[in-house]
Amino acid sequence: MNFDQELDARGLNCPLPILRAKKALTGMQSGQVLKILATDPGSLKDFQAFSRQTGNELLAHAEANREFTFFMKRK
Amino acid sequence: MLAAYVSGGAFVLAFIFGAVANKTNFCTMGAVSDWVNMGDTSRMRMWLLAIGVAIIGASALELAGLVDLSKSIYPSPNFTWLSYLVGGFLFGVGMTLGSGCGSKTLIRVGTGNLKSLVVYVFLGIAAYMTLRGLFGAFRVGVLEKAAITLPAGQDLPSLLHFWLGLSRGTWTAVLSSLIGGALIAFAYASRQFRSSFDYTLGGVVTGLVVVGGWVVSGVIGHVEEHPETLQEAFIATNTGRMESFSFVAPLAFTLEYLMLWTDKSRIITYGVAGAAGVIAGSAAYALATRSFRWEGFRDAEDTANHIVGGLLMGFGGITALGCTIGQGISGFSTLALGSIMTFGAIVAGSAATMKYQYWRLSG
Repeated sequence: MNFDQELDARGLNCPLPILRAKKALTGMQSGQVLKILATDPGSLKDFQAFSRQTGNELLAHAEANREFTFFMKRK
Repeated sequence: MLAAYVSGGAFVLAFIFGAVANKTNFCTMGAVSDWVNMGDTSRMRMWLLAIGVAIIGASALELAGLVDLSKSIYPSPNFTWLSYLVGGFLFGVGMTLGSGCGSKTLIRVGTGNLKSLVVYVFLGIAAYMTLRGLFGAFRVGVLEKAAITLPAGQDLPSLLHFWLGLSRGTWTAVLSSLIGGALIAFAYASRQFRSSFDYTLGGVVTGLVVVGGWVVSGVIGHVEEHPETLQEAFIATNTGRMESFSFVAPLAFTLEYLMLWTDKSRIITYGVAGAAGVIAGSAAYALATRSFRWEGFRDAEDTANHIVGGLLMGFGGITALGCTIGQGISGFSTLALGSIMTFGAIVAGSAATMKYQYWRLSG
């Protein structure tokens, strides 16, 4: 999937991945896509809730080799 | 033999909590984070539901004559307001830096998070230093000097009984119904909260575990007249008082128990068994669902954050007489003013730290 910016939040635990994603999205334009890499086991629930609450669409997510990848579109 | 029933009961209840908290993502720091950083109150409602259930359950036990909540550490007439505020706030800062509160630290240890194992050790050392060491001198000599001696226990039923009349039991029934009921009603007022059974499961089970904790210590472990001292005793507790779950001092006592292992006069207490139970329950769930994974530090800053977080939680948790579970649910269930104040200070400390972290990213 194409993306405009990447955020490496691997090795970080709640609340830092959400805070960094929130900050990154603030600097992006509407419609742009942020790719997020994370390893916190709670990441999936956190980013689903973040998407639901903020309106930034979670386009896709995947887990491989104990790493989560999220693609989030700036609203 | 009685001690084994008490520590065994604490272990089983804590095991259930550890497994359920892992499954439902119950996390008090996460509750603040969801609320402050994205406006989602579901996990905060899960915490409030646990408090509501614990209030109603603990009050029911007392009204039935099974336990006397004034025998716990929370409703003391000695109202150390500055300790509650400073300790609670610093605990809130610490739990944000350290990836979660004392109970979440144990849950994360159970899932293979080595960072939380480091937090555990620093939290335990700082807690012990605040109980009996260097930090303890500051706690007792400075913070606890700011205290008000109330005319009755600091729990709301005792205070209202003293000021307004009516029996303490009447106030316990009225206030537990009103406050506990209001918290439960608030939790279920959200459609989002009602849409997932995990929120109900996490909140209700956590609340019931605290109520069960009162039963284990206050009913099973209660001896009217100990044969050696001829005084009332609560068996296998570190405080000598009736206990329910808390996850700061027990981490210090676990380290002490391990370091003084050959001292045969020492036993596995309620708190030590409880801390071990949470790790075991979380690990069992993680292994059963194949979600166990080793996690380590990302870099030096991440390491420093977790060490400081553990130290602040150890100091803050002892100073405030408890953590997000100890004061936030067990203490709150006694309707003690200090518990309610500590709950607010912890949330404020955590929220302020998150705001600072976000501001720092923007700088």
